[in-house]
Amino acid sequence: MALFSVKDVSKTYSNYKALDRVSIEVEKGEVFGLLGPNGAGKTTLIRIINQITAPDEGEIFFMGEKLRAEHVQMIGYLPEERGLYKKMKVGDQAIYLAELKGLKKAEAKKRLEFWFEKFEISSWWDKKVEELSKGMQQKVQFITTILHEPKLLIFDEPFSGFDPINANLLKQEILSLKEKGATIIFSTHNMESVEEICDSIALINKSKKILDGKVTEIKQRFNENLYEIIIPSSFNIEEIKMEGVEIRAITPKQLTQELVLKIDNEQKADFISRIISKTNLISYRELLPSMNQIFINAVSKQ
Amino acid sequence: MNKINIIIKREYFTRVKKKSFIVMTFVVPILFLALVFIPAILSQKALTVSKVLVVDQTLVEKNGVKSSLFLNKFKNNDELTFVYGYDIKKAQDDLIKKEYDAVLELVKTNDNPPIKGFLYYGENELSLVSQQAIQNQLTDIFKNHILTYDYGMSEKDLAWFNDPKIGFYSKNILSGEDSNKGVQTVLSVILGFIIYMFVFMFSSQVMRSISEEKMNRIVEVLVSSIKPIQLLMGKIVAIALVGLTQLLLWGVFFAIMIFSLQGIYPDAFNSSKNENITITQKVPASASFNEAIAENSEINKIIQQVFSINYGLVLSTFLFYFLAGYFLYAALFGAVGALVDVDTDVQQFTLPITIPLIIAMVCFPLIINSPSGGVAFWLSIIPLTSPMVMMMRIPFGVPAWELILSMAVMIIFIAFCVYIAAKIYRTGILMYGKNITYKEVWKWLKYKN
Repeated sequence: MALFSVKDVSKTYSNYKALDRVSIEVEKGEVFGLLGPNGAGKTTLIRIINQITAPDEGEIFFMGEKLRAEHVQMIGYLPEERGLYKKMKVGDQAIYLAELKGLKKAEAKKRLEFWFEKFEISSWWDKKVEELSKGMQQKVQFITTILHEPKLLIFDEPFSGFDPINANLLKQEILSLKEKGATIIFSTHNMESVEEICDSIALINKSKKILDGKVTEIKQRFNENLYEIIIPSSFNIEEIKMEGVEIRAITPKQLTQELVLKIDNEQKADFISRIISKTNLISYRELLPSMNQIFINAVSKQ
Repeated sequence: MNKINIIIKREYFTRVKKKSFIVMTFVVPILFLALVFIPAILSQKALTVSKVLVVDQTLVEKNGVKSSLFLNKFKNNDELTFVYGYDIKKAQDDLIKKEYDAVLELVKTNDNPPIKGFLYYGENELSLVSQQAIQNQLTDIFKNHILTYDYGMSEKDLAWFNDPKIGFYSKNILSGEDSNKGVQTVLSVILGFIIYMFVFMFSSQVMRSISEEKMNRIVEVLVSSIKPIQLLMGKIVAIALVGLTQLLLWGVFFAIMIFSLQGIYPDAFNSSKNENITITQKVPASASFNEAIAENSEINKIIQQVFSINYGLVLSTFLFYFLAGYFLYAALFGAVGALVDVDTDVQQFTLPITIPLIIAMVCFPLIINSPSGGVAFWLSIIPLTSPMVMMMRIPFGVPAWELILSMAVMIIFIAFCVYIAAKIYRTGILMYGKNITYKEVWKWLKYKN
């Protein structure tokens, strides 16, 4: 069952259409990547999900019900444009934001102590936010996003502004939240992180959804039957030329050569046995398209 | 509702705990009292008494007795003491030696009137006020001399003649009120100014607070937890409470300061009463005469005026117009706070809002001169100026229907402005890095939610 679904949502700003009949389905417990170039309408969709703006048309369902004001307590949102009150103390601020999400003060404090200890930032409790570095502020903001243990988490470009070490820490946390049963919507245009952590994606371009589905399934869908083989450089490629096999690229190395081939499915078995009989096949692997390629292809095709 | 409370609590306590709030609470009453008392104290202490030598050369002869017309007739006061001499040459030498500040030579002439006065001074000229005072005394002494010697008037008659204390009253036949409005004028200016200051001070705080949240981007997190309108209202209410707290503290602080000053300088507060008593006691005449004089005395008039003001009305209308003016301008300034992305844009949008405030200030003298005139009437109905102008009119008395009309217009206009402001706010807070024009704002108003 979908935890969260958006059905035919449109939003127009005076003369500019930000979203055009977009539908997405997010399964419970998955990491859902919301992808698209800048200005595609991702942030508008995220704001609609957070009930910051209302759609002109379409419906949104959360846990089987129509999205209501009370649902904000079950949603955690880390916006792309991050910020905290500069003059307010870290601890007070975290408690304030937790209270706004419906937590009691004592409970908020208890949970904050746990997280501050986990992130080794307990000593910051009484510091003003302006005394912290940008990376430190991001950590605080991340904690305030997840503190009320939301069923749905929305991260808009979560890794921007983090150094590699902290980005990795954050990634681990996101994955462990998923293990604990949270559902995560993850908006980004960093495709590497999509491959690493997303289960499903939807690609939005120019206000429209142009692609969606499970990551593995999409990769299969865009599979062009490309394979990479590595063979000794002494071998003459002419010998393996056959019907249904097309050489796309040859990269000579010192002792070996790397070939990218497009092989029709019916010819695959024949081709492998043929090559094994003629030379030493050092490596053979299927080349699935990267999300990055799929992204660029899909967007530029439109 | 619960969430609005959380907002109000934070907005209120962060402001009340700020150093600037505490400083304002103590400094403003002290400054205000200083403004009132320092000139008074200075004018008392800094006075120098000038010594004037009177050389009287106007011997008059009456029934064979020669006497000098001005001898010992000048009255000393706070600024001047008079001594008398005969030798003008010596007097001028002494003046050069600075034994006197001035020498007044009085000579007889054949003109009409037959007296002339010459005032000599050395290094420092006497103040214009002192010179005028000397001239007035000179005239009075001469006049009194003529009246006593030529017309045989007794000293008592003379005193009465010089100041017969004719009662002069003006009354409003509709309200039966005294129309001499000295106290009302002072109160009017104070009220108008205070409400201007408060409305401006606290409503611009709303603007700053909103643009701060927008600029440091926390607002997006906030509006994912609560509705923008809740955030806006929570903020406006919290700052109103801060304003009321400040007012209350100032009230208490003033009361304490006045009581303690009364303890230290009881004379300063009682002098007016004493004077009042001496004036009434001086005239041993019939009761009605006595009463008339007492009623006529300036101080009594002031006291009467002070008591004739309806303080309950002043206080309640002050609270209404403070809150109403604040809500109105908070909504407008709030919209500006949501519009601007960079501090430098603030000017462009605040100008049209501050113009009505400035118009009200500029019209202050006009309103005091004619508190029921056309300008005063219209400016006290138009909501953008009514908080200041109506408060200025209240001490003079305002017909009930005008007050009700002004308040009703105000409430309707506030509802309208809050509605507009909420629309601008909702869109504006999430609009970054865009050069916002009035045309753009007009489009936002037409968005449906």
